[in-house]
This record gives sequence, C-alpha cells and structure tokens, in this order.
Amino acid sequence: MDWIETLINGALLGALYGLLGLGLALVFGVMRVVNLAHGEFIVLAAFGGTTLASLAPSVNPLLWILPVALLAFGVGYLLQATLVNRTVRSGDPLIPLLLTFGVGVVLRNLMVEVFGTDPRALDGGAFTQAGIEFLGLRVGVFPITVLFLAAAMFGGLQWLLAHTEWGRIVRATSDNARIVRLMGVRPDRVYNTVMGLALAFAAVAGMLLALRSSFNPYSGVERLLVAFEVVILGGLGSFWGAFAGGIMLGIAQLLGQKFDSNAAALYAHLLFFVILVIRPTGLAGRAS
Amino acid sequence: MAALLEIDDLQVWYGDLQALYGVSTALDEGRVLALIGANGAGKSTLLSAVCGLLEGRAEGAVRLQGAPLLGRPAEALAYEGIALVPEGRMLFPSLSVEENLRMGMLTRRAGHWTLQRVYELFPVLQEFRTRPATALSGGQQQMVAIGRALLANPRLLLCDEISLGLAPVIVRQIYESLQQVRAQGMAIVLVEQDVQRACRMADAVCCLLKGRVTLQGKADAFDHARIAQAYFGH
Amino acid sequence: MKALGLVLLALYLAAAAAVPSLLDAGWMTLLSEVLLMLAMAQMWNLLAGYTGLVSLGHQAFIGIGAYFVFYFSDRLELHPFLLLPVAGIVCALVAALLAPLLFRLRDAYFSVGIWVFAEIVYLLATKTRELGATSGVALKSMRLVDTETFSRDTFWIAALLALLAVGGVYALIRSRLGLGLMAVRDNELAATSIGIDVWRNRFAAFTISAFGCGIAGATYFTGSMFVSPEAGFDINWVVGMMSIVIIGGIGTIEGPIIGTLLYFGLREGFTAWAGVSGSWYLVAMGLVAIAVMLVAPRGLWGWVREHWGWEGFSERRTPPATLLADGGQP
Repeated sequence: MDWIETLINGALLGALYGLLGLGLALVFGVMRVVNLAHGEFIVLAAFGGTTLASLAPSVNPLLWILPVALLAFGVGYLLQATLVNRTVRSGDPLIPLLLTFGVGVVLRNLMVEVFGTDPRALDGGAFTQAGIEFLGLRVGVFPITVLFLAAAMFGGLQWLLAHTEWGRIVRATSDNARIVRLMGVRPDRVYNTVMGLALAFAAVAGMLLALRSSFNPYSGVERLLVAFEVVILGGLGSFWGAFAGGIMLGIAQLLGQKFDSNAAALYAHLLFFVILVIRPTGLAGRAS
Repeated sequence: MAALLEIDDLQVWYGDLQALYGVSTALDEGRVLALIGANGAGKSTLLSAVCGLLEGRAEGAVRLQGAPLLGRPAEALAYEGIALVPEGRMLFPSLSVEENLRMGMLTRRAGHWTLQRVYELFPVLQEFRTRPATALSGGQQQMVAIGRALLANPRLLLCDEISLGLAPVIVRQIYESLQQVRAQGMAIVLVEQDVQRACRMADAVCCLLKGRVTLQGKADAFDHARIAQAYFGH
Repeated sequence: MKALGLVLLALYLAAAAAVPSLLDAGWMTLLSEVLLMLAMAQMWNLLAGYTGLVSLGHQAFIGIGAYFVFYFSDRLELHPFLLLPVAGIVCALVAALLAPLLFRLRDAYFSVGIWVFAEIVYLLATKTRELGATSGVALKSMRLVDTETFSRDTFWIAALLALLAVGGVYALIRSRLGLGLMAVRDNELAATSIGIDVWRNRFAAFTISAFGCGIAGATYFTGSMFVSPEAGFDINWVVGMMSIVIIGGIGTIEGPIIGTLLYFGLREGFTAWAGVSGSWYLVAMGLVAIAVMLVAPRGLWGWVREHWGWEGFSERRTPPATLLADGGQP
C-alpha cells in the first residue's frame, strides 16, 4: 500500500516536473533554441513570489501565481525581442545557447547578491498540508491541484497550437521561418510571444515548486537539469511525451527516495540515462 | 499606362559576387511573363528581389504599380499583394493541406480566390484536406503551394520552377489550372526551365544568362534557335 | 613566425622556472589555478570548438581524475604525482566507454546526456564511504611527499600542463586528425563524403579532452590536498571553461588564453581591489559573454582576427590564390 502511495505521489511530483520542462520544450521546438537560463527564470519567479508574499503577508501565496506568470510573460517577450532574436538570425544554434548561458550566469549571481544564499520557501498554509483519504491511501490535495494545473497547461498549449490561427502560425514558423514571411508573418514577433509563454509556464512551475520545497539562487541548475530530462525524454515536438517523461522521473525519484533516501535523484538520472541510450530521440519524438 | 511590375536596372551582389547586372523588364496587368535561363542565371535572385526575400545587396528599382518595393521585407510585401510559389514548394510539414492553404489567407486580402474556389480548381486537395501536406505526391504538393499563394489574392503571382521534378502529365494539368488563374486576370511571372511550356503560356519572355538579359520581348516573336542562343550564350 | 614561437616558448619556460623563487605561496597557488584552468579550457574548446560537441558534463572528468589520485596513491603507497598521468588515462578510458552511448545523441541531447552522467557520478561519489562520501577526503598520501618542494612542484606541473595543452592542441589541429576535425565541424555530410571518419575523429577529440581535464583536475586537487564531491564535480568548472572559451573565441587556440586572463583578471580585480563580494565578478563575466555573443560571436580573438588581421598561431589555412581568381559561382 505504501508503495502504491509512493507511486501516486511520484506521478504527482512528475506532473510538476513536466511543467518545469514545458517552457523549455516550447522554445526548443519552435526556435531550436536551448535556453540555458530556464532554470534561473524558474527560481527568479519563486523569488518574485516570496517577495510579493512578504510585502502582503495576509494574501495567500497561491494568488500570486497569476501575476508572477504575467510578469514572466513580459520578461520573456522582452528577453527575446532585445537579445535572443539577434542571435537566432545567425542560423548557428550554438550562439543563442551561449547567449542564454550568459544570461543564466548573470541572473544566478545577481540573485545571490540581491537575495542572499539562504534557502527560502513559499508557505501555502493549510492548503499545502491538506490531504485526502482515498481508498485507504493518503494523497495530498496540493499535488493533485498541481496535476490538474499541469494537465490544463499542457492541454491548453496543445489546443492552442492545433486549433487556433496563432497555433498554425507558430507551427508554420517553426517549420520554415523564411517562407512564412511570404504570408505576412514576422518570425521575430512569433518568437517573442513564444518565449513569453515559455517563461510564464516556467514561472508557474517555479512558484508551485517553491510551495513544495525550499530553494536558493543556485537551485536553478538542478531545475534546469530536470527540465532538460523531461524535454529530452519527451522527444522533439512532443509535449505529451514530455508530460509522460516527467511522470516517469517523478516516480523514479520518489521510489528512489524510499529505497535510498540520501541520493534519490540518482535513480531518476539513471532512468533518464538508460532511456536516452535505448531511445536517443526520446519516448515520443520524431527523429529530427 | 504604367506597367504593373517594373524592374529598372536592377543590380544584386552577394558579398563580392555580383549576381545581376542591370536587369530591366516589365509586366503589364493580367499578362504572363516567362523568365527563363539556365541554372545560376539569376532567375531566383530576381524573384527574391521582387518578393522581399533577397539576402544580398541590391541597387536599382523594383516598382509595383509605381510604388517602390526594393528593400522592403517580404512580410510587408505580402500585404502589398505579392505572392510567391517557392521553388521546391516549401510547404509546412507540421500543417495539414487545409492549414497550409489557410496560411495564405493571413493577410486577409479580398478577391476572387476563396478556399472553396481553390478546392474547385484543385479538387484532389479537398479530398486530402486533413492530411499532412507533405504526405501528398509532388504534383499535389505543387497544387497546395499554388493554392496557398492564390488565397492571398495577390496582384502579382510569382511561380518559381513549378514544373521541377514533376511528370509531364502532371505539369500539363497544373498549367491548365494556371490558365484558369490567368483567365481571372492575374499577372504572373513564370520562372521555368521548361522553356517551351513557359513560352506557350506567356505573353512576354525574358531570358537571363549569367545575370544579364540576353533576350526580351513578345513570346511568339522568337524562334527556337534564337531562344537557344540567348539561353546558352552561343 | 616560427622564430617568434621559439622565443615565446623559451620565455615561458624561463618564467615558469623563476616563479617559485620570485612569488610567494599565495600567488603561486593562484598562478597554478590560472594555468590549470587554461589547460581545461583548451580541452573543452577542443571538443566544442573543433567538433561542435558542447559538453555540459566535463566536470565529471575533473572529479574522476582527482578522486583516482587521492584513492590510489593512498592504497598503492605511491607518490600522487606518479598517478597524475594515470588519472588522465583513466578519464580517457571512461570517455571511450561513454562515446558509443553519447555519440548517438545529437547536439543539445549530447550536452544534457553528458551532464546527467556527471550528476550520476557525483551522486555515486556522495554515497561512497571509501571516498569520504559527502564530506570528501584529504590527500592521505601526503605522508609520501616532500612537503618543502610540494607546492613548487605542483606549480611546475601546472605550468607544464598548460604548455602541453596549448602546444598539444596546436599540433593536433595541424595534423591530419585536426583537419579532419575541422572538416567535420564545418560540414559533416561533406566530410563524410570525402572519406573522413566522423565517428573516429569525434572519439579522438573526446578522449583527448577527457584525458587533459582528468590530469588538470587531479593536479588541482592534489595541490589543495583535499577533494569533495561538491568541489570535484562542481558545475562551475564547466561554467568557467565555457565562459572562458566563449568570450575568448571558440574554435581558436588564442581564445582560451585571452578568456582565461580576462576571467581571472575580473575575479581577482573584483575581489582583491574593488573589495566587492565574490558573485559580482561572475555577473560581469556573464554580461561580457552576452555582449560577445551579440556583437562578436567568434569571441574577442575572433573579432581581433577579423578586424585587425592578426593571425596568432595561424592554425587556419588560406587556399592558394589561383583557386580564388576563377571567380567561380557558389
């Protein structure tokens, strides 16, 4: 019974992991840009949340998720418009990667200077502690909410891409940014919106993670690694694959923790490594 | 009356390499211009300069009904009513046939061509409308590419090597459809390696060789030998 | 150019010989760090700049090299210096075993794949009692070492490694292997079609790169006489290597030299003179990296080469004039 509970909680954690990777997958899929600063943005959002929470202590931190996400959208839009777009034009995928690497270094160390290295967390109050009894299993209410939020965001993005004009434009731009201009589309503008959306997703994930465990300015690196693993397990262009990948990693992490509490991440990484070796293009990806 | 499209002493460089040396030509409304020449003669460069995709440096003038086009980006020229059927079709693999067609409607230009009318022109596309565009045969993909351009209701349709890689029977079908497009009053520039096909349909012909115009005039004014001389240079 | 090179070499050797008598221990340690970082940056550049494989996991080799020396010098009762080259070979072997797995991964997948490998090794190290687990282990074989000459000797080893790294990469690039590497980097398909074995070239670069980082990492930690998983497998090793190479100029030999000087210049400048706390120099480094990527993606050296025509080690070859005169179309 205990193991089943671990499995379920692992899957719920995995939904959060999937969310960590969603923004990264979006940017990678549309622009072929590897955003090495993605982890830092996740942590930055968490710091944003803690700052807002300390300014207005009576407000439930969960309510800050939306404003932080909207702010993150703006930041992403600006980041793309002022910096990243210039490097995408070069055609060499290495340059945007190295640029975002620099951005990550700057953000990480700025956060150290501004916020200090002490761990922080968001306190969601009673909501995050609550649990429900279900068929003799105890499952947290918060993780289930996270699952629904994550599924909603994944599903929402998928729907946007498949059924709206904007989604068509994004898919077409990701296929061929040069030809799409013939139809009046400005690829730069498309990329701005995509990056904004990606960072908004990262912000939500960052806030939810902060409600669950503590963080410090250096946490971005491990968040990035998880995000990458999720994206790669999913394979290029597959969001549901990423979601599934996240769930697998979450389960591996919690099972590993049960089995060997001081190196839980090891089992998630091993699982990732093994899968990657067996299927180099990911669980669901097309061989790009 | 000013021509619809005027190209005036156009010179193009890619870095230090000159691709076009003072090309001048014109196209009237509702007419078809065949732009012929061997590989590397500069035909695609010329089209790029007209539709705004040019990546090199250009001097001279390109005008659409008197308004200057040169230097303006493709995204803007799409709204001016210039549509290109690119060499190699260049359909979007992530999109279905109908989604590819709909991409052409983004500029929301009004005109004769609607989705329904394009399906009437190319009935096979309606049958395959939900299929991924790249799952179709070469000829069908060419139809999608043409339909996509038509749906922008352009003032000027540029066709880059639409017969390339297709069986003669398919090419004939496509050109018959193109006649229907022309009958609606569309001005068309046809870049073709299939010289005969292009000249048969065209009102005017312009031949390029190594970036220079070697022959220009009414399509029926030149015999085979004269065209071959302009094409090959000897 | 050759005469100048020999003169520089002589100067370098003379300076290295003189340093222990001229500088105090603190400066010598710093200089060792600079030289070792230069060696590591050259190794990282060998992989990224010449084969296009961006490794986010090179810290694995630094840690593996260090732990190897620490463990076996104690167990086998050997002077740690003797094991330094062996540590390099061990890392090369690890790389050789990894290659069949990792080379199936393209681009970003490779980068993350090797990073995960580094994390796995790090976590395994934290769980291994014999290696001191999370608290790390001291260099027990110090008992076999002559403590008087130790820091001087480690400095000389560092100086030698830096020289070998720069010289080795230079020699490599001018060799057949080097030309093959550059061909593969520029156009893999074309390279394959003229018979260059892509896989073998990448394999060679990967193992050599691992070897170099392994020895450098082993030397660094031997010098400080203590290693822990956090320090040995710290991601900041690769952050440092990457920053240095990006800013200096990826795919060049001079680039990492410039980058290393800038990196330590900023670090020491910010902490020692400006009196500002540790992280600001990294912010500065990051900003420089961003600026470089926007304005001069080929790095500082690349910019200098383009705008001022300096040729440095001139590992780039220019085709004979007759080929260009044709004015042939692309």
